[in-house]
Amino acid sequence: MRLYVNGVTHDVAAPPHATLLTVLRDALHLTGTKLVCDRGECGACTVLLDEVPVYACLTLAVACQEARVTTIEGIAGDDLHPLQRAFIAHDAAQCGYCTPGQILAGIALLSRTPRPSDHDIAVAMSGNLCRCGTYPRIAAAIRTASETMRARAEGSDAAR
Amino acid sequence: MPRGDGKATTPTKTGRGRAAGHAGDTAHKADADANGAPGRFITTRVEIEGREQIRIVERPAFELPPWSTDGPLSVVGQRVPRVDALEKVTGRARYTTDIQRPGTLHVAILRAPIARGRVTRIDLAPALSLPGVRDGVTRADLPTIDIGGVPLLDPTVHYAAQPIAALCADSEELARDALRHVVVEYAAEPHAVTVEDALAPGAPLVRPGGNRSRNSPKLYERGDAAKGLRDADVVVTREYRTPVALHSALEPHGAVAEWAGDQLTVWESTQGIFNTREDLANAFGLPMTQVRVIKDYMGGGFGAKNGASTNAYLAAALARRTGRPVSCINERDAEQMDSGNRPATVQRVSLGARRDGTLTAIVLEAQIPLGIGGWQGGPAKIYHELYSCPNVHTSETYAYINASAMASFRAPGHAEGAFGLERAMDTLAAALGMDPLALRVANYATTNVEKLRPYTSKRLDECYRMGAERFGWTRGAAPALHSSIRRGRGMASLTWGAGGGPPAYALVRLNPDASADVLTGSQDLGTGTRTVLAQVAAEALGARLADVRVILGDTERTPYTGNSWGSMTVASVAPAVRMAAVDARRELFAAAAAMLSVDASQLDARDSVIRARGDGASITFADVGAKLGDVMIIGRGSRGPNPDDAHIAAFGAQFAEVEVDVETGIVRVLRIVSVHDSGRILNPTLAESQVEGGIIQGIGYALFEERVLDRTLGIPLNPTLHDYKIPTMCDIPLLDVLFVEHSDDQANHVGAKGLAEPPIIPTAPAIANAVADALGVEVNEIPLTPWRVRAAIGA
Repeated sequence: MRLYVNGVTHDVAAPPHATLLTVLRDALHLTGTKLVCDRGECGACTVLLDEVPVYACLTLAVACQEARVTTIEGIAGDDLHPLQRAFIAHDAAQCGYCTPGQILAGIALLSRTPRPSDHDIAVAMSGNLCRCGTYPRIAAAIRTASETMRARAEGSDAAR
Repeated sequence: MPRGDGKATTPTKTGRGRAAGHAGDTAHKADADANGAPGRFITTRVEIEGREQIRIVERPAFELPPWSTDGPLSVVGQRVPRVDALEKVTGRARYTTDIQRPGTLHVAILRAPIARGRVTRIDLAPALSLPGVRDGVTRADLPTIDIGGVPLLDPTVHYAAQPIAALCADSEELARDALRHVVVEYAAEPHAVTVEDALAPGAPLVRPGGNRSRNSPKLYERGDAAKGLRDADVVVTREYRTPVALHSALEPHGAVAEWAGDQLTVWESTQGIFNTREDLANAFGLPMTQVRVIKDYMGGGFGAKNGASTNAYLAAALARRTGRPVSCINERDAEQMDSGNRPATVQRVSLGARRDGTLTAIVLEAQIPLGIGGWQGGPAKIYHELYSCPNVHTSETYAYINASAMASFRAPGHAEGAFGLERAMDTLAAALGMDPLALRVANYATTNVEKLRPYTSKRLDECYRMGAERFGWTRGAAPALHSSIRRGRGMASLTWGAGGGPPAYALVRLNPDASADVLTGSQDLGTGTRTVLAQVAAEALGARLADVRVILGDTERTPYTGNSWGSMTVASVAPAVRMAAVDARRELFAAAAAMLSVDASQLDARDSVIRARGDGASITFADVGAKLGDVMIIGRGSRGPNPDDAHIAAFGAQFAEVEVDVETGIVRVLRIVSVHDSGRILNPTLAESQVEGGIIQGIGYALFEERVLDRTLGIPLNPTLHDYKIPTMCDIPLLDVLFVEHSDDQANHVGAKGLAEPPIIPTAPAIANAVADALGVEVNEIPLTPWRVRAAIGA
């Protein structure tokens, strides 16, 4: 099958029942995406299909051939994403195991709701478990990133 | 062989059997060392998870004055970001589960579907004949390896989910599928999975020696508790129950093993690389030089990962047999069913007091079902030490049941005990018509009343004062907005032995380019160990933080440091790192003094620049390094003994406000104020993160978390993250974290005490006290699920 992951095309030999998670981790060695529950309960394997967050453990790889797949490894360009910066600034990662999934879920939230309320954040992120208990800091990081991204958008509007 | 937290041994005398062995061996050496420096090796007390050990320690090569005498610190105490945050937010951090060695085989474990019985027939051949399946093992193929009191792959079944056989194949999927082709038959026998069933007359024999642990009941007596109850003006007697809670670290137990000849390398998600090395060396009959254990990034431990795991043994055994790297990572259901747990408790508590609130008696009769094995970290200890009561009697009966063994879980024993004791204190306060906080203050223990020693420092009184003020304790709960909502407030206290201790070692190597490597055999579980040790080294060297790299988690690269458990890491390792950095700096200053033609005693360093007092001559670390060329400055540090005559503990208090919907029974925590005395805070941001995380786990313990075993079938019913509920972002209240910060100079020269476990201790009782306050009825069992709340109000 042919997958388009983080801007790169990969031809992958994988069976039709292979999940996107297995292919990302085992065939493409993109181990930033984590396997925790393998049944859509924890959000650790969250990736983006185009801009939509999906649980990679519940998604068949073969069904992703028409989409842009984005994993944590594809978030930062030359610069970190504002949400990655905000995670560092707010100490929103303790052990860091859930962090890639949290960041992708957060980015998906910000792309569909640029000014999320605290309630929006809690509801959107409640499918991503964190056992270390970084939730208040993740929420703060999303608020900060929302402000940074809006300020940046306004700045670029003004520059035009 | 002893498992990490002493599951297989009886740790009551000196802690882990292994630690006792160490102490004995070294003591012998010390005695024989008549020609050495007299008194170089001495004994010191170290408290681990509430168990006090006597350990041998060598006196440090030189004494450091307390850090507080150095004046204001510039790196320590600052809110610097985690040094490994970038790796974590970019997905580059590599965990044990991410180790991909070429040609790796993957293990799947066959687990017993019954709670007790035996394997009457097992045949791996049909599975081994499948394409891609490379090997398989049963009990007969392995050396005897004790896991929580059960030989690994024992054909006698002691609990549901017990490993019976293991297969390895080219992929996890092939290995899992192959399990279905193993021919296995079981003969089930009657089981006991509750404490009542295990202790009933005629109960099935869970362990050959009986269903009570050998020294049950474990007794403690101070004064005359019966007389204390008789002398009381008011007595309250209640029964409290706490559930089995599961660690649920998101990275499961797992290991990858690879042999090169007789040299074994194991990557394991562990809180103790050196314990794991010792376990593996013993199991496979290898000298420690032939075992390397690596743990780089780790997705949480919370107490359950203290030695070589089942996974590590199986991976190592299968790797040796197949000549291939082998990965053995728990699937989630296995992790939830068989990787340790906080045991349940039943606590029958009587408190007696005079009208003024002075406690006259504390009595506890507790039952603790450990599972098939485990150590005896029960709820009683906090009853001994939290309040100054002359008459205390506690009795703990530890029962074995046909369920997976317990393991240390963040503040083992104290989190359970605090629920009973602090709920009972609120009940007593109500009976006396006293304010709950005033009752606690009236029984304040200024010294450690269990060990009869003063504390190196105790600022719980200040925690109470600051917490009450921040929370607005005297104001009363704000009125609720809806008629079915009740609001209430509660508080609870904590104490936890958090002094750390030896042995812990560190090396600091200065490179010619002015960068510095700090090597110490510790582990960062996500707590921030790497970061705070880098701060300590940078401060003591006078170096830029960015120039310091901390290398942990590799038995081959680092000197010994113990497990990351018992809230011990900072108080144990930071003094060793500081000493190593000071040692390196002395050498650096000696070189710089010659270059600057000044006396080394006149030098000081900051931001990697050495300056002479007075004339202001200066030279950078890099210039000194360039002149020295390949001369390598190496500083050595070790953790010295704990004080002989004082007890080291952390303290704190939490205040909670809740809303309870009496129609649904749903409890919502609105806010928690948490105030801690943990001595010096090395990084306030990371410390706040630790406290928040502990509180959030405490919220789960108070409201949601409960492993359910079917009594008839004896099997776990909720081994998934959907059915075993841990808190989500929707469950988080406002959290307000404060520190009564001071440098505990008597505890160690860094001035820090532990912080990781304390915050979970008072959360459940503070919340339950608030729920009781809201409802006007008692709630004596957690988790406070909607049905328990509804039952409590008689609905």
